[in-house]
Amino acid sequence: MKSIVIERLTVKYGDYTALKNITFSVEHPSFLVVMGPNGAGKTTLLKALMGQVNYEGKIVIFGKKPIEALDRMGYMPQRERINRNIPLKVKDVVLMPLISKNVFGISKEHIAMAKNALKIVGMESFWNSQFSSLSGGQQQRILLARTLARDPDILILDEPFSATDVATKLKLIEILHSLKKKKTIILVAHDINPLVECTDKVLLLNKEIIAFGTMAETLTEENMERLYGTRIPIIRYGEVCYTVGSDSHIHI
Amino acid sequence: MLYGGQRFTYPHIISGVNAVIEITIWVLRAFIAIFVIAAISSTIGSYSVFRGSTFLVSGIAHGALAGAALGVLISLYIVPAEPYFFSIIFALGIALAVGYASKKQESMDVAVGVLFALSMSLAILFLSMIREYSAIAWSLIMGNLLLLSSADIELMILTAVFLTLIFSLTHRKMLFSIFDPEMAKVSGVNPFKYESLLFVLMAVGIVVLLMGVGAILVYALLVIPAAAARRSFKTVEGTMAGAFAFTAISGFLGIALSLYIDVAPSALVGLIATIIYAFTFLKN
Ligand SMILES: Nc1ncnc2c1ncn2[C@@H]1O[C@H](COP(=O)(O)OP(=O)(O)O)[C@@H](O)[C@H]1O
Ligand SMILES: [Mg+2]
Repeated sequence: MKSIVIERLTVKYGDYTALKNITFSVEHPSFLVVMGPNGAGKTTLLKALMGQVNYEGKIVIFGKKPIEALDRMGYMPQRERINRNIPLKVKDVVLMPLISKNVFGISKEHIAMAKNALKIVGMESFWNSQFSSLSGGQQQRILLARTLARDPDILILDEPFSATDVATKLKLIEILHSLKKKKTIILVAHDINPLVECTDKVLLLNKEIIAFGTMAETLTEENMERLYGTRIPIIRYGEVCYTVGSDSHIHI
Repeated sequence: MLYGGQRFTYPHIISGVNAVIEITIWVLRAFIAIFVIAAISSTIGSYSVFRGSTFLVSGIAHGALAGAALGVLISLYIVPAEPYFFSIIFALGIALAVGYASKKQESMDVAVGVLFALSMSLAILFLSMIREYSAIAWSLIMGNLLLLSSADIELMILTAVFLTLIFSLTHRKMLFSIFDPEMAKVSGVNPFKYESLLFVLMAVGIVVLLMGVGAILVYALLVIPAAAARRSFKTVEGTMAGAFAFTAISGFLGIALSLYIDVAPSALVGLIATIIYAFTFLKN
């Protein structure tokens, strides 16, 4: 079954074309990694999937338009955009999207959903903790739990590993690995290496599609050079590919 | 009510038994005003501190000041008019212009700064045209806590009830929009709508404060108590309750002191609020 079908997608911000003529589709369940330099339109692509930007072309999510399929998608925005001035507890953060439509009161069902999501990320004992006093990595796990709380079929994760330490990154990947049998996971990352165990497909994006396919099909030295404009050596073990000296070190 | 002459000579000049009653009524009104201001401060102050838009508070306050000055000018020389009506128009204008600029990706600081400069220029322009009524300018800038009419008080109470009602109905969506606008949007909560609503409610609340404590002290009573509460309490609700308490304490103490020392109560209120804020640093 296809979870996402995109045909000739183009997104413009005024005169600026952020995405041009994008066509690909994603199986359900599966794990897609989106890579590309800054400004390549990765975030724009994720927003288009959720119907948050005006676009030309066709996007079909489980047979529906993006806006109509929002309840089946869970989004985790880039973390830098979150406001840390608010003295929220962990439970407030995870419950927020669940209860925002209710004016008062919190149902038992929502509490159960939030607790279950915290359990998946291994943070259930932090229910009453102060969100802003947690480490960056713990905060990132809480934000993943918030995204998981509604049990969406499609997870859309925008650079979940940026500004995290290696241990957090590995922990998050372990969690995602345990989810990939049931969900479509779309993840923007700068470094494919820690993800080689989970990745089914790779999308190399720089306004247009540079390549789309399995790791072996996409992660070639020519493609990486077209994508980033510099040579990045690739090491291959059969189907699995590692990039050497990719820009991962910049993000650690 | 606004330009009854002597701003800082209190009614206790009136002699005899009446004096006691007069003082009680004026002081009672001042206390009620403080209570109202504390209610407004607890919501608007806390949301501004959470959102990091405290500069916008003083921007709107100065817009409200310019509006009131224009209103006074018009009512003196053209047609009778309620100055606070012009206040609210100017305050809303600033709030919406900043909301629009921030939607257009302009930095909020720059947008507020520009409008701040414009408001101050207009305020000075209008006030200088009514030079012979400098008492009016004083009362707009410094407030007239001890000279509020019963109509003023009724308007203030009504506004506070209205604001509190709207805030309690929209609290969760407002908080979501401030915490994470992008996720709010995909969750069906339009952050632009709630931010705009917040700005509009800020404008309304700020004009009420302007009536009580004047333009300069709007910041002192809207932002400082909430900022102190934010440092002292670990939850959203705690911050709001703390902002209420700190505002009320500053107000009550300020008025009480002003009955003994013959200075403008708003000055004392602002000083006490600042002292409370300073104490939150000692604690940590
Ligand atoms: N709301 C917007 N209005 C105008 N331009 C935008 C907007 N959002 C993004 N852009 C521009 O579109 C391009 C792609 O942005 P984005 O999708 O965020 O890239 P990435 O996530 O790959 O770094 C960038 O040049 C960015 O400046
Ligand atoms: Mg991005």
